[in-house]
This record gives sequence, C-alpha cells and structure tokens, in this order.
Amino acid sequence: MEISLAGLAAPIIKGIFLGGLYVVIALGLSLVFGVMKLINVAHGDLVILGSYLAWAIMGWLGIDPFLSLVVGVPLFFVLGFFVQKFIINRTFRISLDAALIACFGISIVVQSLLQIIWTPFNRSLLTDYRLVTFAVGPVTIQLRYLLNFIGGLAVMIAVREFLRRTYMGRAIGAASQNEPVAERMGINPNRVYSFAFAIAMACAAVAGVLQGLTFSFSPASGPPFLIISFGVIILGGLGSMAGTFIGGMIFGLTQTLGAYLSGGSMMIQMLAPYLLVFIILSVRPQGIFGR
Amino acid sequence: MSDTAVLSVEGVSKSFGGIHAIQNVTFEVRAGEVLGLMGPNGAGKTTLLNLIAGVYRPDSGRILFQGKNITRYPPHKICHVGIARTFQIPQPFTDLMVRDNLMVAAKYGNKRGVTLELDEILDLVDLLKQKDTTAGDLATVSLKRLELARALASNPTLILLDEVAAGSTEAELPRILDITKQVRKMGKTIILVEHVMKVMVEAVDRIVVIDKGEKIAEGTPGEVMEDEKVLAAYFG
Amino acid sequence: MKIPRLTTLAPIAVLVVLALFPLIGIPLSWLNYLFSFFIYLALANMWNLLAGYTGLICLCPHAFVGLAGYTLAIGTQVGMPFQVGLIAGAAVAAVFALVISYPVFRMKGIYFAIGTLVLPEVLKQWFNYWQPVGTAYQGGGAGYSVVGLAGFSLENKYWLALAIAAAAIFLVYIILRSKLGLGLTAIRDNENTAASSGVNIFRLKLISFLIAAFIMGIAGAAYFIHNPKIQPAGGFGISWLLLPLMATVIGGEGTEEGPIIGAAIVTFLRFLLADYGAWSLFIQGIILVVVVVALPQGIAGLLRQVGAYHLPQKLYQAAKARIHRT
Repeated sequence: MEISLAGLAAPIIKGIFLGGLYVVIALGLSLVFGVMKLINVAHGDLVILGSYLAWAIMGWLGIDPFLSLVVGVPLFFVLGFFVQKFIINRTFRISLDAALIACFGISIVVQSLLQIIWTPFNRSLLTDYRLVTFAVGPVTIQLRYLLNFIGGLAVMIAVREFLRRTYMGRAIGAASQNEPVAERMGINPNRVYSFAFAIAMACAAVAGVLQGLTFSFSPASGPPFLIISFGVIILGGLGSMAGTFIGGMIFGLTQTLGAYLSGGSMMIQMLAPYLLVFIILSVRPQGIFGR
Repeated sequence: MSDTAVLSVEGVSKSFGGIHAIQNVTFEVRAGEVLGLMGPNGAGKTTLLNLIAGVYRPDSGRILFQGKNITRYPPHKICHVGIARTFQIPQPFTDLMVRDNLMVAAKYGNKRGVTLELDEILDLVDLLKQKDTTAGDLATVSLKRLELARALASNPTLILLDEVAAGSTEAELPRILDITKQVRKMGKTIILVEHVMKVMVEAVDRIVVIDKGEKIAEGTPGEVMEDEKVLAAYFG
Repeated sequence: MKIPRLTTLAPIAVLVVLALFPLIGIPLSWLNYLFSFFIYLALANMWNLLAGYTGLICLCPHAFVGLAGYTLAIGTQVGMPFQVGLIAGAAVAAVFALVISYPVFRMKGIYFAIGTLVLPEVLKQWFNYWQPVGTAYQGGGAGYSVVGLAGFSLENKYWLALAIAAAAIFLVYIILRSKLGLGLTAIRDNENTAASSGVNIFRLKLISFLIAAFIMGIAGAAYFIHNPKIQPAGGFGISWLLLPLMATVIGGEGTEEGPIIGAAIVTFLRFLLADYGAWSLFIQGIILVVVVVALPQGIAGLLRQVGAYHLPQKLYQAAKARIHRT
C-alpha cells in the first residue's frame, strides 16, 4: 500500500491527540503508583465505569457528557476516598500483594456490576459534536480527538498545580518521595493515600467521558486501558509528568501508525500497544525519563 | 596475582549516577589471612564488598579469585566458587527456622563436596539451642551471629564479614573475637569490615584503608594507625 | 508388618473412595460438581505454588488454560486423538511459559504481575482474529469445538480430573519436601539472601513456572474435554484467574491444605450462583475483597493459628501463618 508523507500526517496528528486521552487515563494510575507503590489493576475498569456513568446521566437528563462531570467528578472523588480508606489502606497492613489482590477483586466487582446494570453490549457517548471534523491543510481532524488532547493537557496541568500549590498536594508529593520522613513531619500517610486515590478517581471520571466519546465501550473494555496506562507511566518514567505526557503520545502514535501502516488491520491496532508494553517491561522498566 | 593470594582486586571502579563510589582500588588478600577493610562512613566499604560479592558489576577493573576471573559473576555463582558474605543489616530468612537458614546455604551454596555438620556451626556461634526457633523471633544480636553461621554453612574459602560486631556490648566483644579466630583456624580467609576498633586491631593481620572510594593506605594495624593520610581521613 | 501412619493412610483412603464414586451409584450431577472441583483444585494448587511458595503473583493462568484448550481443540479438528491433544496442550502451555520467562522474570514484583496480565489479553485478541484451520464458521471469535470424544464417558472424564488433581497435590507435596521447595521458600522469604547463599533465582522460578504452566494446561485441557467448545472470551477469560486466586486466598496462601479448602468453597459457590450470570462474578469479587481484608491468612491460616490441628513439624515449611511484617 502507498505510504506517503502527506498520508502520514493524519495518523500522526491523530496519534498525538489520542495520546491526550491516554495521558488522562494514565494520570490516575501514575498518582496511585507514585504514592503507594500500588498498581491499581481496577483502574481501567473504573475509567469505563466513568464512561457508563456519563452515559447514564446523558440518558436520564439529556445533558452533554462534559456537563455530567459536575456530578461525576465529585462522586468519583468521594468513592475513591472511601475505597482507599476502607479497603486498600487495610490491605497495606497485610502486604502489598494483598493490596494487589484487593484491587483485582474490585476490578471483578466493577466489571460484573457494569454487565448487570448495562448488559454486555457496546455503548458510546453519542453527542452532536462527536462526528464533527475540521480540516487543517490537507489533513482532516476529528474534533473529539482534539478534545482528548486539550482534555489531557488541562487535567495534567490541573493536577500538577494541585500537587504544587495545596497543602495536601505537597503532602502527597512528600509521601511519594519518602514516607517515613513524611510521617515524622506529621503527615498521616493513610489520609494522604485516601486523597491521592480520590484524585485518581476524579481523573478517571474525566477519562471516562473522553474515552466514551472516542471509542465504543463495553463492560470488558477496562483491561486494555489498564495495560496501556501502565505502559505509558513506565515508558515515561515514574514520577515524571512530562514523561507521562510523552508516553501517552507514543502510545497514541503506536496505535494510529500501526493501523495506518498495516492497512487498517484491527488486530495490529489492538496488539501494537501491548507489544510495546511488553518490550518496555523487558528492556527498560525505568522508562525514558526514569532514574 | 601472586601465589599466596586468594583474591585479587585489580583497578576496580564503580560509579552510581555521578557519584564515584569506588575509584581504581587494587589490593590482594592472602590465603588464610584476616584482612581488615577500614574507612570513614560512606567511604565505600560496603560497596566494595558488594562488588566482590557480585551484587554490583565493576565499571572497570577486574576481580580474580583463585586465579578465576569472577568480575561478572552473579551472586549465586560467587557463592558457588567459595565466597560467602554477611549483610551489614542482617537479612535472615525470617519465616524459616534457624537450622533451615543454614540448610539453604548448605544445599545450594556448597559445591565443594564436603558435607558440613550444621550443628557444629550453630554451636560455634552459640545458636545451637535455638536451632528450631523461627529466625524472625530471634533477638537482633543473635541475627548477626546467624548471618555468620549461614555464611559458614556454604563451606566457603573466603568470607566477607560486614560489621559483625556492630551493636554488641563490651562484654560480648571477646566472644566475637574468639569466633573470628576459630573461623580462621578452620582455614578460611576473611575480609572484615568493622567500625569497632578493638575488634579490627586484634583480629586482623593487615588493613586496607578506603576513603572517598580510593585506597589510601595498606599495611599492618600498627603501620596504618600511624599513617598521616589515615589520621587525616578520620579526624579531618 | 509396619502399619503406615494415619497421615499417609488418610489421603490414600480418600483417593480410593473418590475413585469408586462413579461405580457405586453417585448421581451424575455430583460427579459433575466433583469434576469441576478437581479441575479447580489443580489450578489452585499451582497458583499457590507460584504465589504462596515462590512469591510469584502470576496473573496469567488464563493464558495457560486458553492455550492448552485451543491446542486440544485445533488438534482434534485436524485429527489428533484427544488424549494426545491433552498432553500437547499442556506442553504448549509449558513452552509458552518457557518462551516468555526470559523477559518476564526480568521484571520484578509489580512489573511481573502486569507483564503476566498482558499476555492473556494479547492471546485473547490474537485468537479473536486467527483462523488456522476449519470452515467459515470456525476460528476467530466463533472458536472451535473439540471433536473425537465419542465414547469418553462422564465417568472417564471424572477419573481424568481426579487423576490430575491428585497429581497436582502430590507434586506440591513432593516439591515442598525437596531441595527445590527449600529454595523456593528461601526466594519467597528474601531473594537477596537466597542469591548470596547460592540459590539460582532465575532457574528455580523458571522450574516452578514451567511446572505450574504444564499442570494448569492439562487441567484446562481436561475442562475443555468436558465442555468441548472453546472461544477466545471463554478460553482466555478472567474467570480462570479469579478461580485459583480466590481458592488460594480463601483457603490460605502458602499452606498445603489451603487450596483444597479454597477450591471446595469456590466450587460450592459457583454452583450456588450458577443461574445468576453476572451476579455470580459480582458476588465472588466482593467475597474476594472481603476475605483479603478480613481474613488474609485464609481459612487454613486461621485454623493453624487457633491450633485446630497439629501440624507435624515439616522440615521446609514455615510453621506459622504467613503474615508479612510491614
């Protein structure tokens, strides 16, 4: 098939924009991992929960999914806070493995709940502007991909500012660097964890909306996003927000370029990111920017 | 490497990030001797032990053991050729009984075909009565002795002892010295890292002094204690 | 004549009784339940070997099960006898484990967990599109049927599963009392100390991993002999991970009797909830979370703590329930 430079422009731009979505999804995972050294294997499913929640609110109230975040974000924040407080914090006293298993249990609970309430069929967040495209030069861009990019930047900046400027944000930063020292400074680690998880969940709510606009989803859509987010944060290197951003771009590009270069093969599009994750894990787990 | 040397460290260097932990260190350890490794805090003594033990790989230089180039050997292979080590902060198998702690080393580390009596080793370090106690239940001081016992269980030729006397009371020091002498009588060669001066001076034949990653002195305890550079390193 | 001890006699007696079940008129539905129990038991034992004794939280049992099942199905489609397919399936699972072991064991801790999670997802996608043999209505998302099973009765399947479960238990029993078991326990306890004591960590983990892959494969293939249709979602479904994980956690990780207790409970639970579709998974997930928080040492751990039974002092076993020191 023909691969032209002009032809590459579309998938490249689309990949970069898609990266914004992956950044938002990965941010929640990154925050939890950075602070608690825990990979929340339920993360992908929680994002999909966010998508379903937005879908449900859209259905009941007929409002735009972004507006539904007014309900979604606080709801997820509170949910995250209590999940951390009553479940995950307790497992930390036992072992890190126990926390991992608990997260897996939550993943199963969420997936099956979604299936019970909303059946296994695919859904999408259908809005008027979902199908809007516009042209930049010879390239056609879909609006929703641009929204992903803007959303990614916005959420990233918001979280970064929160971590820098608020007391709890700095406490989270301190705890992720050095927990015993932070504890001696009067910071209650459990409380910090609860807030960190709550913020991660809030990010997941936003990610859910963006994701729902971009792809169709079903109750089983979670794990692929978990794997991609994990790939993003280790590619970018832990603890580096710029790294996470670039990592997201790379994963977006992998998918779009993979689809383009393989002539639209669905299989390649799905498998390319997984392969990338596996390679990263084997070759350089500390990522590009990692120490 | 000279005829009497069991271990030869030649021009070994190791950096972490921008920090030169060990710079171009060279020395030999003669068969059957007790070599002390001395230096102020952060000088790189444990790093040097870790380099010999295969935990780190030198950036340059090489390490020879009984004529074999062991520079790139991983820790388990180092144990197989006959070098055992203790950890500065004891790292026992906390869920295993004392005797099983030794059993691991005996079954996996001893490639020299001689079966050891584990009870004898336990007796040497005064842990025979606790051989069925779970390691996690031992007192911290006992853990240090367990470290030594475990190292001995693999029937090594060379033992790297990392601060085996630290945390012991005045009264316990003679026993530690005694144990060290016994180990030496078994024909083992020892590299001893120690801060407790009494042990260092009385147990060792020669001392190598490290400061800021470099070897600054080498000789008998008497010679080293008078060395200007050594005094400067310690007392500024 | 020396009379063997009770602890040796009892399991053999149980085995003989179980083997006789089909011949003494036990209802077919019971045989069905027991079939599942045996399969789950084998899987749980292997998961426990990895997680409870080697310290490897393996999140890829469904990769082994799915691969073995597909090997069996595709094999029988091209004329392979199912008995060969059974072994071939297990072998394929083991080879797969071998191939991925090099990259996967380079990953520590959490990285290993996610690395193993990626694999079944990849396989599921792959088999969604792959159609190596068969007509237009086979392969890909439609999956394959296992054929050539005529004459292999329910009783035969029952004995097959019983044999596999018994083999799994016996294998773990032998391993734990061997030099390998000591090494694995050492690795789980403290990898650095184990390495410096001469333990070749990579090699022992690999052996453990290969054994687990083979047995999980054979158990999975046996399942698909009884339920002779395999599709990507079912073959590589998350249930195959949830099952052994739940059984081990509920029963008691790092104990020998734990997986047996856990598998029994999980089997019972599954059949209790069999008609409830997604609710079944939902309730299992909740139970998993509750148990891991409230009863992390599992039932066996609890029983040991309260001294419900006296354990003969086994040489290479940690006698206490394993509760990590934080």
